Amino acid sequence: MLLEAKGVSKVFGRLRAVDNVSAGVAQGEILGLIGPNGAGKSTFFNCLTGDVAPTSGAVLFGGEDVTARSPERRAELGLARTFQLPQTFDGMTVLENVMIGAFLRTAETREARDRARSVLDLVGMGDLADTPARTLGTPGRKRLEIARALATEPKVLLLDEAMAGLNPAEVRRAIDLVRSIHETGVTLVIVEHVMEVITSLAGRVIVFHQGQEIASGPPREVMRDPSVVEAYLGKRAGRKAGAHAP
Amino acid sequence: MKAAPARNAVWAVAVATALLAYPLIFSSPFQQRLGALVLLYAIAASAWNIVGGYAGQVSVGHVVFFGCGAYAALATYHHTGLPPIAGVPLGIAASVGIAALIGVPTLRLSGHYFSMATIAVAELARLVTTNTEFLGAAVGLSGPTVPRTVFDLSFISALPYYYLFLAVLALTLGLTWWMERSRIGYYLRAIRDSERAARSLGARAGRVKLYAFMLSAGLTSVAGALYALMFGFVDPESGLGILISVKMLIMAALGGAGLLFGPLVGAAILVPLEEISNSVLGGRGAGLTFVLYGAIIVLIARFRPDGILGLLRLRRRAEVPPKDKTDAP
Repeated sequence: MLLEAKGVSKVFGRLRAVDNVSAGVAQGEILGLIGPNGAGKSTFFNCLTGDVAPTSGAVLFGGEDVTARSPERRAELGLARTFQLPQTFDGMTVLENVMIGAFLRTAETREARDRARSVLDLVGMGDLADTPARTLGTPGRKRLEIARALATEPKVLLLDEAMAGLNPAEVRRAIDLVRSIHETGVTLVIVEHVMEVITSLAGRVIVFHQGQEIASGPPREVMRDPSVVEAYLGKRAGRKAGAHAP
Repeated sequence: MKAAPARNAVWAVAVATALLAYPLIFSSPFQQRLGALVLLYAIAASAWNIVGGYAGQVSVGHVVFFGCGAYAALATYHHTGLPPIAGVPLGIAASVGIAALIGVPTLRLSGHYFSMATIAVAELARLVTTNTEFLGAAVGLSGPTVPRTVFDLSFISALPYYYLFLAVLALTLGLTWWMERSRIGYYLRAIRDSERAARSLGARAGRVKLYAFMLSAGLTSVAGALYALMFGFVDPESGLGILISVKMLIMAALGGAGLLFGPLVGAAILVPLEEISNSVLGGRGAGLTFVLYGAIIVLIARFRPDGILGLLRLRRRAEVPPKDKTDAP
């Protein structure tokens, strides 16, 4: 496993947001994290990136225990992420945003600029290089966050609802982008609500419910799992799905 | 956008020429002294700008470093008889040390909490100094009354001070310019917009902010030392009064915080305003200055957080034909 959680729990007061989850993503894989709202996906995701310190358990990256490592140290090791609510640097241009990512691998401004430009071309934002980031809409911001993360030359890219708020045409373009990133050898972890995205991208999904992992496997199989249907739609629907299962 | 660097270079040359020529054209003692004061406050505000403007960490305790510089210079003279300028390295070292000491815990605080913590530190320093005999307590310290050698840098005319301050300002802005263009400058601006995102991209936010704070502190202490050289006197109010912090902040914010020439523009507007109101209204004018500062804070906060230069920059951008703003989804 390239990135792995071992018995990770996160407790907020009396709420067990993440309850003893063990999961990992192998080199070259696309792993999907799904579940109803409040299931603990995002908290788990933030434990992986270092934004949230788990109450117990360990996070391993490339075999190394990174549980106590800061987000910036994990970025150095090859972990990159995007945010559910885009956190673009609004006082900067699109190019400068991506340069912040590129600066992780070079201290030279000129080189960071060159690298950022080629990443922008790669994600199809080359024309927008000198545009102030604050003038972008949601789809542009989400794409910019992906570009910025790619500029850090990650081994694993974690996307937190990168498609939320996009229209169907934009979702298709974003799926193409993620696929092309995957083809360059980057391992991906995606938290997503849009099922179309999960089924067309993820090789394996983990379903969260009330902080726990309730199912995992290929997306189409998992969707038929009675406990998953129950988590999303309630008990009666779950029983029905179980009865109809072949 | 391509023409921007050339246009900036023309501007820089024009500003430099104007600054060099000013005291020769406006050669009355009042005008020369006014010019020197503008430069002095521009140095202090530019130093503040590194951490307050670029990094967005609004320090209201920068007077501590200003006071460090002023007190180090005059305490060196008072206790050893060496020229005050010999105390400058001491002031810089003390400021950088204090910045490191208070920066580690306070830079973790965000927004207003950081500002409040720095106010507390500044007030503490003022109270401690007021009660420290070694630093002249409430009475303060004086420099040499008559210059013994040229190294005392004690002149009757403001002209030598003017060019000394101009050189130090050039150095300060040069350092800021270099920082702005290097990785640390980009990181500081990123941290100002979203520290969380900057860290996720590998920016060591804590360390970057601390370095900026230390650089800013060192330069602010030089401004304090220059003040002590020119006035030959410092007491807790003139060296550690909170109003000095506020002035640095307002000048930078009015001209344009986080912009290279913002603090200079702010100083060039506010210092003459204050000097003229003081000389016209005499002692009664002092109170009016506070009212004016208060009003400026309100106006900046409400209408133009990026100051006058920010406004001009926006205008200039509007001249360029608008780019295709449609998003690449």
